[in-house]
Amino acid sequence: MSKNMFNVFSKKFAAAAMVGTLVVSGALAGCSSDSGSEKDGKKVINVWGMGEEAKTLPKIAEEFEKENPEIDVKVQAIPWDQAHDKLLTAVASKKGPDVVQMGTTWIPEFASANALMDLSDQTEKYPELAAENFYDGSIETTKYEDKVVGVPWYVDTRVLFYRTDLLEEAGYKEAPKTWDELRDAAKKLNDRGDDKYGISIDTNEQSLSFMLARQNGSKLIEGNEAYFNEPEFVEAVEYLNGFFKDGSAPVDLGLDIVQAFKGDGILPMFISGPWMVKIINDQAPELEGKWATAVLPAKETNTSTLGGSNLSVFEHTKNKEEALKFLAYMSKSETQVKWLEMTNSLPANKEAWNDKQLQENQYYKVFGEQMENAQPMPVIKPFEKIAQDFLSRFEKIYRGGADIQEEMDAFDQEAEKILSK
Amino acid sequence: MKSFLANKTPYFFIAPAIILLSLFSILPIFVALFISFTDLDLVGIADWSSISFVGLENYKEVVSDPIFVKSILNTLFYVVIGVPLVIILSLAIALLINFGKARIFKAFRVVFYMPSITNVVAVAVVWSYLYNPHLGLFNHILNLLNLPDVPWLQDPIMAKISLILLALWRAIGLNMIIFLAALQGIPKTYYEAAQLDGANNWKQLTKITIPLLRYAIFFVSITTMIGWLQFFEEPFVMTNGGPLDSTTSVALFIYRNGFQFSNFGYAAAGSFILFIAIIIITLIQFKIQNKQQDY
Repeated sequence: MSKNMFNVFSKKFAAAAMVGTLVVSGALAGCSSDSGSEKDGKKVINVWGMGEEAKTLPKIAEEFEKENPEIDVKVQAIPWDQAHDKLLTAVASKKGPDVVQMGTTWIPEFASANALMDLSDQTEKYPELAAENFYDGSIETTKYEDKVVGVPWYVDTRVLFYRTDLLEEAGYKEAPKTWDELRDAAKKLNDRGDDKYGISIDTNEQSLSFMLARQNGSKLIEGNEAYFNEPEFVEAVEYLNGFFKDGSAPVDLGLDIVQAFKGDGILPMFISGPWMVKIINDQAPELEGKWATAVLPAKETNTSTLGGSNLSVFEHTKNKEEALKFLAYMSKSETQVKWLEMTNSLPANKEAWNDKQLQENQYYKVFGEQMENAQPMPVIKPFEKIAQDFLSRFEKIYRGGADIQEEMDAFDQEAEKILSK
Repeated sequence: MKSFLANKTPYFFIAPAIILLSLFSILPIFVALFISFTDLDLVGIADWSSISFVGLENYKEVVSDPIFVKSILNTLFYVVIGVPLVIILSLAIALLINFGKARIFKAFRVVFYMPSITNVVAVAVVWSYLYNPHLGLFNHILNLLNLPDVPWLQDPIMAKISLILLALWRAIGLNMIIFLAALQGIPKTYYEAAQLDGANNWKQLTKITIPLLRYAIFFVSITTMIGWLQFFEEPFVMTNGGPLDSTTSVALFIYRNGFQFSNFGYAAAGSFILFIAIIIITLIQFKIQNKQQDY
């Protein structure tokens, strides 16, 4: 009996054992990974790519290999939701990839652990990596303290997607331009009848409220100071909550956004990133000509969020030069245009935006315009924790009807406590 | 010592198991205990010299964390509702399958066992469609019967029950097999004797079958209890702890703090509280079991 019980313990005693194993695996390092190995006289570099992009990454790596026959690129695709765990293990064991794709919000965490190489003195040798090639907002996400720990790869920014035909019926020939207009348009669209709404508000999207608060002039965070209970921020939360309150945004619809966007347009407006263009074109081709993208409606500004991915060199790599060569190759404007063709990711390289495709495509043009007014989320280590705390408080507001000012006071306090650690 | 040397052989045979077990199960538990007294985070993993000892700080903080308290209450809810349901249902199904003599009952074993061997993520994806408020089959059926929609995963209490239903469906198979094996181990002679004395089916069930299944029931209740105390996959995949943290289990809380926020010390403290709770509850169950008389 007791032996059986122990099986249960050892099999499922998840967290304690996992954390422990992580440290032990750090201590046992040395038995894994083949970074630094050579194959047929070729240097092998390991590249970790994440999510959808990673599936296309080998194609572009092939082109790189053609130009650099002495380097062999091995791409490993990691799903986003496992990537964080996997990187933790890599940091703990000091054995990992040579080049790694980093989500912009992860940079501070891994940079503070000294896992990413400082690239600031490499720009002379690799001019492709220089900051002036990229949008300022993207460059901001590659900096940690006084180091440059990555190079922008692709960017995404949020814009408004809307059904032109349905908005026209509601009296909007053009996309809503201000907060008030957006509110009004959502209400009118909601009035179409039962089971029809005005706008989709993704309650798991952590950057949405922060983005709106910025449009309202909120500073969000400065140093150890948080501004979450100031009127600028509270108003933004009130504004967002208003959509739920009057029913123009559904709380739990349970429908895929494309399904709700097409046909009758259960959700005729939503805010999202460039990847949606391809998804709508693929999954709802019949909508062609009935939808468009537009820059976000403005309050004081129409600042959007700037996200995307960077490429970094893993600090403990043994193939520094080869890894940097790969980074330089990926940063070239021609490569970035190629990457756009392959994956519809928007280039971070400014020059690449002069490309015909981006200039002439009505959807991409809007993203380019919005990029002029886009800022990354605060580049601080505990941002994820603060954002998650916000989401759970916002849930109390829209679902439980909690008092907004009170919740935001508490949120502000909690955030400052996290920041001062 | 002499007797140890004389009896070396058995130790030699169990050595591989013991070494693996201590390296990958017991050692990590001690490491986690150590971590729970430190402020280990990602920086600490990369550079051990930056770890500092914080004593009981993590424990103090975690027990005053409202989400942790909530996750304990949620976990208790899962245990209190889930464990009896698993035992009753899997026992009932095992009895029915054992009772039935037709060929078809062999097929039913497979039917009930199938969920246990299906990947939990695949299961969760399918069930989240079943529970979907707009497209879900369950709500569709309710509507056909002129009943209103049920907010399966959207209401704090209902969401917990929905997760229990899913986990129940998954847990029945394995425990049913255990009960079936135990049922078939009961000698037929007992029943024959009882029948001669004129005992009906109900009497036979309550006076012979259930008492003789005592060890199986005990085993199932302990393993199920531990399983439910570590309830993780279902809320992780289906609700991510929501709505309003109402489905966050202790294990999910630990995972989130450890691997999402990289607060390893804090997560380790939480996991130790869970570890100790499991040991205490299990010991209590053993005590209760020992008090009962033997047949």
